[in-house]
Amino acid sequence: MTVTAGKRRHGLPAGLLLLAALSALCLPSAAAAQDCRFCHDEPLYRVDFNGSVHAGNGCTSCHVGITNIEKHRDGKERPAPVNCGSCHENIAKEYLNNFHYIQEDFRCSDCHRNIHAIRKDPDKNVKLAIIRKCTECHGNDDYTASGHGEAVLKGNRDAADCSDCHGLHSTRVFHTSLEQYPAEAREFYTQKCKRCHADSVMMARNNLSDRMVAYYEGTYHGKVQELGYPAPVAGCGDCHTKHNILPKEDPRSSIHPANLEANCGRCHSGFHPRFLSYQAHPDYTDRQKYPALYFTFLFMGGLLVGTLAFFWLHTILWWRKVYWEHHRMEKEGIVPPSVVATGEGLQQVERFSVKYRIMHVLLVLSFFTLVLTGFPLKYADTEWAQTITRLWGGAHMSGLFHRGAALVLIIGMIYVTWESLKFLFPKGKGKQGWIDRLLGPDSLFPNLKDLQDLKGMILWFFNRGEAPKFDRWTYWEKFDFLAVFWGMFAIGGSGILLWKPEWSSWIVPGWVLNIAALVHSEEALLAALFIFTIHFFNTHFIPNKFPMDRLIFTGTYRLEELKEQRPLEYERLVAEGRLESLKREHPSIPLKLISATFGLASLLLGLFLTVLILWSLLFA
Amino acid sequence: MARVSNNTLIRLGMPAAWIVILALVACGKPAEPPPPWKVIDAPTLRAMMADDKKLPVFNTMSEIECLDHRIPGSQCLACEEIEKDISLLPPDKNRVLVFYCESAGCYRSCRAAGAAVKAGYTQVHVLDKGMPAWKQAGYAMETVERIPRGSIPSVRAPALKRMIAEQKDLLLVDLRSERSFEEGHIDGAVNVPLYRLGRDYSGIPLDRTLVLIDDRGFRTFLAGSYLEMKGYRVLRLFGGMQAWQEMQAAK
Repeated sequence: MTVTAGKRRHGLPAGLLLLAALSALCLPSAAAAQDCRFCHDEPLYRVDFNGSVHAGNGCTSCHVGITNIEKHRDGKERPAPVNCGSCHENIAKEYLNNFHYIQEDFRCSDCHRNIHAIRKDPDKNVKLAIIRKCTECHGNDDYTASGHGEAVLKGNRDAADCSDCHGLHSTRVFHTSLEQYPAEAREFYTQKCKRCHADSVMMARNNLSDRMVAYYEGTYHGKVQELGYPAPVAGCGDCHTKHNILPKEDPRSSIHPANLEANCGRCHSGFHPRFLSYQAHPDYTDRQKYPALYFTFLFMGGLLVGTLAFFWLHTILWWRKVYWEHHRMEKEGIVPPSVVATGEGLQQVERFSVKYRIMHVLLVLSFFTLVLTGFPLKYADTEWAQTITRLWGGAHMSGLFHRGAALVLIIGMIYVTWESLKFLFPKGKGKQGWIDRLLGPDSLFPNLKDLQDLKGMILWFFNRGEAPKFDRWTYWEKFDFLAVFWGMFAIGGSGILLWKPEWSSWIVPGWVLNIAALVHSEEALLAALFIFTIHFFNTHFIPNKFPMDRLIFTGTYRLEELKEQRPLEYERLVAEGRLESLKREHPSIPLKLISATFGLASLLLGLFLTVLILWSLLFA
Repeated sequence: MARVSNNTLIRLGMPAAWIVILALVACGKPAEPPPPWKVIDAPTLRAMMADDKKLPVFNTMSEIECLDHRIPGSQCLACEEIEKDISLLPPDKNRVLVFYCESAGCYRSCRAAGAAVKAGYTQVHVLDKGMPAWKQAGYAMETVERIPRGSIPSVRAPALKRMIAEQKDLLLVDLRSERSFEEGHIDGAVNVPLYRLGRDYSGIPLDRTLVLIDDRGFRTFLAGSYLEMKGYRVLRLFGGMQAWQEMQAAK
């Protein structure tokens, strides 16, 4: 450790060396404190030093290197530079990265000038002392105007002094004097702000809210920052400025309504003035202040809990029924006909054409991309989120993939809408009979039979009747299908608004973007949990399909399975004479292998993500 | 069957396409060509200096800065001096030379190294990240003539502009190199390059408050402390010429 306080030439106050040399005639030979003072006899060393914190140390514990007092007296031997770090080890270590040391080669004594008379003073206002010291050079008008500076000067012992943000011995080099604001600086200072502003005891003492930090962390700015990619988002200092931190009522404040346009405009451009009604620290549980956000939160929460509660219960009851049934059949040695099918029953029948299978694969890929890029942002403070984002190559890349996958999904959605319209209004028939088609058995639109089927299923779950007979689409499949439409309205709509918020402000005010962010996030949670639990269980993990049903990838299943699972459809196909045209070859080995690999990998990934999401939701 | 194999292709192709996109994204920009000198880190330099006590290691800052603090055993030779007169370097073109400067982002050592390479020196080295790297490694510094640190107030560019407009009794002293000064300076400024300040300061009149101007605002503090020690009243331009130009450009 070699950070030194002394100077070769000016090590002791300059004149003293001269004095030492002049009065050298009378130097005794051993260098005890009284020996030094024999020549260095100013009151500073004889009186003040004895009352100082260093009084217990002799002169030579700091001024080392004098081997021969005669030589020193004759000016031939000078003490080595004082090394404060030999005792103040941790400070010296911190000081190695101090801007003042690195850039201007400050030594300890450049700030601690009165080192020989320094005293312990328990009543000393350290904050004030620090400000006085720093402003000897940094005459910063900005700081004295800030809420912090004013509070310190009024005697507040919580308000930040220079060192609370910049460090005392560890003042970092961020080159903020050049108004450059690299990522580390933003991260560093934001953490400094959070340290006090999230401290509930300190904030309560000062009549401030400790929740501001949490509200900020709930926004896009806060989450990207939390994720460890602070470069492209606002940290505290970007909006509140570095020193001129004042309440928004103060006209000099950067967040005063009159200054907001310029303030936001430092990062955002091309926005309508109503963009400024965006809330940077929204509290969606505050009904008085943010009623729109509050009711959106209630609605989304209700939708999430309601949907999941209903379908989870449905799935559990269903699973119970099938498992018990399986158990009974296994015990009695009964094998379902679809398993032991022979002859005609083995014939493969097409359920999903190539087009729809490709679309499902695209849906799976884009959905996973969206979840793997979106959820790390939602749970930005977790370790896994940071790992996944690193794998994407950072928040920026992750965002690009998110938007790319969203585009795939939106295009798919438009295509499905087009297909649905073609189904309803086919060429040649036009509007004629479209209601029949909409409510007919080949439609994915719910009808009265679905209600009866639901009732039938519930009775069946409780052993109060036979399982209902289904046609081409069951009610839970219709729900899956239509939920995507709602989801795309909620997630897609809010996502498009958030894609380029500045442009969106020409359509909606800034506060709507707060709502969009909330809807986007909550609907995503609903969609992910729905797909990874309910859809997975209904379609793949139900005992007679476990571990997966590859039907959506291979497109075909046995005729016997069609008869068993969709008896009404089978009867219709036979009656209408269409069965023959749906008969297909048995799927090839490569197709089966790839389907199984892709399908199982997706299932496992989905389950893994469910665990991460639930864990973050409940414990993080 | 044809349909099935098509399908297979698509299913294989999808994840593959994803991987290709990822791979493309992961590829960085092409690497920059290496400099014509060798970049060494602080521990390497220390080992080299321990092996060769007479190793010519040059501090390329101004003389007053260098004498204030430098790597022990190094010599003061400002980069401007080297560019003007290459014969200041040792005559043996195959001698190992090391250049360093004050800050991590400093280009002075590289300019000096460039001049040496151009003059035919074959073993030119530059200390990576300069003196900060040496300090942060925890190695000692050497002081020959310490400048007592003063309290040099800084003014921001808009404030200086106002002061000039109010015709305050100021003398703008531009410490940058002659070349930078010629390329552009604040009206009325005089050029006293920092590398010559120790020799030329006595020509600066004592009756006015000086405003020191450098490139980026990093070097005026020590220069100001030096001039304060010599009896001048000194201010410094915060952020240097860069801040001034940014202010001008913002309009």
